[in-house]
Amino acid sequence: MSQNPTEGFDPNDPFGAWRSIRDANLDAWAKGMVSLVNTEAFAKAIGLQLDTMLAASAPIKQAVQQYMEAYLAQVNMPSRGEVVSLAQRLTNIELRLDDMQATLDELLAAVRELAARPVAAAPDPQPAKPAAPRRARKAAAE
Amino acid sequence: MTTPSATSLDVEVMTKKLLEELERLGKSTETFAKLAASRMNVRIGQTPRELIWTLNKMRLYHYYPQTPPEQRKAVPLLLVFALINRPEIFDLRPGNSFVEYMVKQGYEVYLLDWGRPGLEDAGFDFEDYSLRFLPRAVRAVQRHSGSREFSICGWCIGATISSIYAAMRPDDGLRNLVLLTAPLDFSNKEAGPYNRWLNTEFYNVDELVRQYGNVPGAIIDYGAKMLKPVENFIGNYLKLWDNLDNPRVVESWLSMNAWVTDNVDFPGAAFRQWVQEFFRENRLMEGTLMMEGRPVDLGNIKASVLNVIADKDHIVPNCQSTAAMDKFGTRDKLLLEVKGGHIGLMVGSGASKRTWPQIDGWLAKRSQK
Repeated sequence: MSQNPTEGFDPNDPFGAWRSIRDANLDAWAKGMVSLVNTEAFAKAIGLQLDTMLAASAPIKQAVQQYMEAYLAQVNMPSRGEVVSLAQRLTNIELRLDDMQATLDELLAAVRELAARPVAAAPDPQPAKPAAPRRARKAAAE
Repeated sequence: MTTPSATSLDVEVMTKKLLEELERLGKSTETFAKLAASRMNVRIGQTPRELIWTLNKMRLYHYYPQTPPEQRKAVPLLLVFALINRPEIFDLRPGNSFVEYMVKQGYEVYLLDWGRPGLEDAGFDFEDYSLRFLPRAVRAVQRHSGSREFSICGWCIGATISSIYAAMRPDDGLRNLVLLTAPLDFSNKEAGPYNRWLNTEFYNVDELVRQYGNVPGAIIDYGAKMLKPVENFIGNYLKLWDNLDNPRVVESWLSMNAWVTDNVDFPGAAFRQWVQEFFRENRLMEGTLMMEGRPVDLGNIKASVLNVIADKDHIVPNCQSTAAMDKFGTRDKLLLEVKGGHIGLMVGSGASKRTWPQIDGWLAKRSQK
């Protein structure tokens, strides 16, 4: 789509004109850049840039890590790995505590529900059979 | 339309325009001085809330209801954001906050904040987030709200996590699932720059994670900004410069900038899985994503699904969300396209007029007893 370069241009408003030109240029630039970053070549370039950076930093990081671990051991301080391991254990403990709390809450809710139920009326005790008169028992035995 | 040849120069008009510009410059300089002196810091995430649950770095917030009890919805709503950036985008600033809007509509709103992962969290992957942490947050919501049924609204990677949860725990009480710009289907390798960048053999994700543990937020931010480099590195600041005399625009810009620049590291194992198993191998859609020893099958989702996509989303191309519609097991599902970008669909005046009311309209019908 072609744009009229004089569209929106007002010679009496040099600032406005400057803004219009600036925005038109930026728009064109933005569209061009969006197309560029969406190409295979750019994807390879950005991947290579990252790979190069990682390759360059790996030996330095490793050296610093080894030095720090040795130094921290010398001064009786825990290394980063040990602190991380401790934090992981804490997370696991927290998970267990969370589960325990949930179980306790469930139990508490169940107990409350039971307690809230109206107590069922106790069944009447069976009336005791009237004992047969001793005379009748004796007659039966005979 | 005016052309230089057709219009003669008018000194009076020019002088007037020049004076206007000088006046604007005066106001702008004042604002710029305040900005430079960091006296215009804005606070984001201001809707009143209480912390109700914590686990490791995670925090679960409950927003205080602002409607009478009889007007409240029966089913609480849990908001789940991505693993990158902060969840305060749900509650950017008063008058421009999805949380504030939903609370006023009578929802019991909960927000899950994943927190900022430390090195000790570098081993957490999507299984941890979807099936170890999210279910526990859900349990806390159920306990606090007293409702077994609940809705989840997940955004971006938060939508992916929520979908996995919905598929693997279909009987937990999830009634409604709202997905915002959900990256689920990566079969189209031409869709968007991320697909190209992450699929190249040169992108050494294993070495990146090995060296850093968690992928630094600055790298994630750089990648996101490179999707539209001119807009993000230049246009964004020119917009501020052009509007320095407009306090409303400046405040809005600062709020957004405060959120954009607050980067969070991406947990290493999750990032590796994201690149390898989602982007490169498209396992979720292929049905080969294994969690807890079984494949994640979106067909198991029983909850009603609202899948919201943005027509100008340059981060999650629409095809990454739409193709999943056929996979959801539920029959009550709706694909909703709204105007805006990946973030813009939920923030700004357009969001409050279009997106939020539509989400509320869909959810309200499904949030009654």
